[in-house]
Amino acid sequence: MALSAQQVSKRIGNPATQILTSISLEIPDGQFVALTGRSGSGKSTLLYMLSGLDSVSDGAVLADGKDLSQMKRVEKAHFRNEQIGFVFQFHYLIAELTVLENVLLPAKKYGKAAERTEFAKSILEKVGLAEKHQRLPRQLSGGEEQRVAIARALIMEPKYLFADEPTGSLDSVNGEVVMKMLELANVEKKMTIIMVTHEMDFAKRAQRQIQLADGKIMHDSS
Amino acid sequence: MISLAIRYLFSRKRQSLFTLLGIFLGAAGFVIISGFFAGFRTFMIDQLVNNSAHIFIEARQEFLTTHSLDDAFFAKRISHAFWKSVPAGKKDYNRIENPEGWYKRLEADPRVDAYSPQLVVAALFSKGGTSVSATLTGCTPEQQARVNTIAANMTEGAFSEIGNGGNRIILGQELLRRLGAKLLQNILVSTGAGAPTPFQIVGVYDSGSKGGNQQAYASLADVQRANQTLNLVNQIDVRLADYEQSASVATTWSGISLEAIESWDQRNANIFTIFSLQAMMRNIIVSVVMLVAGFGIYNVLMMTVTQKMKDIAILQAMGYESWEVRSLFLFQGLVLGAIGAALGLIVGYFVCQYLETLPFGGRAGTTVPLGHLAIDLSFAIYSQAALLSILSALVASYLPARAAAHFTPIEIIRGGTE
Ligand SMILES: Nc1ncnc2c1ncn2[C@@H]1O[C@H](COP(=O)(O)OP(=O)(O)OP(=O)(O)O)[C@@H](O)[C@H]1O
Ligand SMILES: [Mg+2]
Repeated sequence: MALSAQQVSKRIGNPATQILTSISLEIPDGQFVALTGRSGSGKSTLLYMLSGLDSVSDGAVLADGKDLSQMKRVEKAHFRNEQIGFVFQFHYLIAELTVLENVLLPAKKYGKAAERTEFAKSILEKVGLAEKHQRLPRQLSGGEEQRVAIARALIMEPKYLFADEPTGSLDSVNGEVVMKMLELANVEKKMTIIMVTHEMDFAKRAQRQIQLADGKIMHDSS
Repeated sequence: MISLAIRYLFSRKRQSLFTLLGIFLGAAGFVIISGFFAGFRTFMIDQLVNNSAHIFIEARQEFLTTHSLDDAFFAKRISHAFWKSVPAGKKDYNRIENPEGWYKRLEADPRVDAYSPQLVVAALFSKGGTSVSATLTGCTPEQQARVNTIAANMTEGAFSEIGNGGNRIILGQELLRRLGAKLLQNILVSTGAGAPTPFQIVGVYDSGSKGGNQQAYASLADVQRANQTLNLVNQIDVRLADYEQSASVATTWSGISLEAIESWDQRNANIFTIFSLQAMMRNIIVSVVMLVAGFGIYNVLMMTVTQKMKDIAILQAMGYESWEVRSLFLFQGLVLGAIGAALGLIVGYFVCQYLETLPFGGRAGTTVPLGHLAIDLSFAIYSQAALLSILSALVASYLPARAAAHFTPIEIIRGGTE
């Protein structure tokens, strides 16, 4: 079973700019992939399309053979809620909700907040935020906020975890903590992880490195 | 979604309170103004219904037309008459053709409580050098007392004193004042037929209105004699057991008789115009308040949507659907509307309670009760106010809600701060 892109292209705007050109790749379940490349090379765009958050202009993205663009409304909601976790480059927590409530927000969608509360607390404990789960995001440091965002992406134990420069805005200590969280999810939960990163040290720790340039795959380590 | 909606509201307390105030004012205003007007309306109708008869049967005024005299002059001998000077004027003295037939019909009708045959004429009242023209009603006092409140409105003397003859008369306060006359003095009454007849003033009444006080009552027989029209009756006042049937009964009778028949509400149509004007006024005031309140909600929510774009993107990325994002904002409007309405209704209710304690109306010796402002506290007004406030809050939050669910998460993130 795998996540695969078949001849995926993306054009944006009018007049259209070609952002991705005919990308094909196959990511087997449980693989840890690092996406690298220069700024503007199309890493974020590819990540959004692999996760189904964005639509393709040509080609198709298949999860276990199922075309993401063919999903109906309810099926798509379930897929986003249960199969994927997304960590944005900027942490995007909801300011009005506490740390714990932010982490449990995906679980609320289908009424699973109560049964996931213990699990949420255990993740927060692992990332050193056990005492701070009643705080509001503005009472946290940037590194702590990013850890909460990752905890939130993990709460439904999704099959795929997408992370867009999760360590980009963090210092090396916090970056290391975040990287450890991802590695742990990959090893313990057999989660497929696709991470965009600029940092070569982190990229090397992934099983596979894919390098983009001008919307095309320039190098694929597998 | 609901708890998040409430958190959003709490995170901007001042704006929420401000928009709440708008809805609150709209709801309270609706309740108070409606209560006041509806209470006024009920009061007025009570006054009208109590003071006057319910149905008036009047002789129809018939006018001559070009050919109404053809038959009388030429019988069937010619088919068409050309008049040099076309016939014009009133036909005969207007009278109820068969009053006995009416009396029988009215007595047999279970809906009729009482009736009073009358001869109503225009008359000139003179005392010394002063003359005042006014309406003189000839009636049988026992019957008249049962169809309107004239007997209860007496300030001096008793209504029954006009009796069944003897040229005794009762004047309205205003008429008495303008004649400069006093109780038990004699005045001359002229109806245009024959010599003026002397009448003795045996009573004075006050109906509560100036117009109503410029009339006079005497016995039917006396007025018929003074007017030189023995046995003539030109109006019958009727009181029904249930005044609400007045209009429909009047309409039925109109269909089966020659007389002109009017009910109290048809006769006082102008007052109903006032009521509908009042309702219009209330609607305009309340719409303006609701419009302002709705615009407040719209503005605040629109601003929240723009501020919370990233939240919306995250929610959607987590699998929350468009309708859930929409409901997040609709619910904020609904909460504002519901709380504003509830507060408005409660405060409106207490203001109405207070208004009810204010003294109003009341004139000694009349049927206008010395009472308090009548305020309608009916459930219908309150449910209408609640419905209106919540509805306008929902309408106002619909557009922001739709705007919120309009974008895909990626459009928001791309267009955002990255
Ligand atoms: N809305 C848009 N309209 C037009 N072009 C866009 C739009 N969004 C992104 N692009 C272009 O698409 C290209 C790829 O963008 P993308 O965000 O995927 O790059 P990236 O590799 O993630 O860069 P970075 O490392 O800076 O995050 C860039 O050249 C960018 O200018
Ligand atoms: Mg990027």
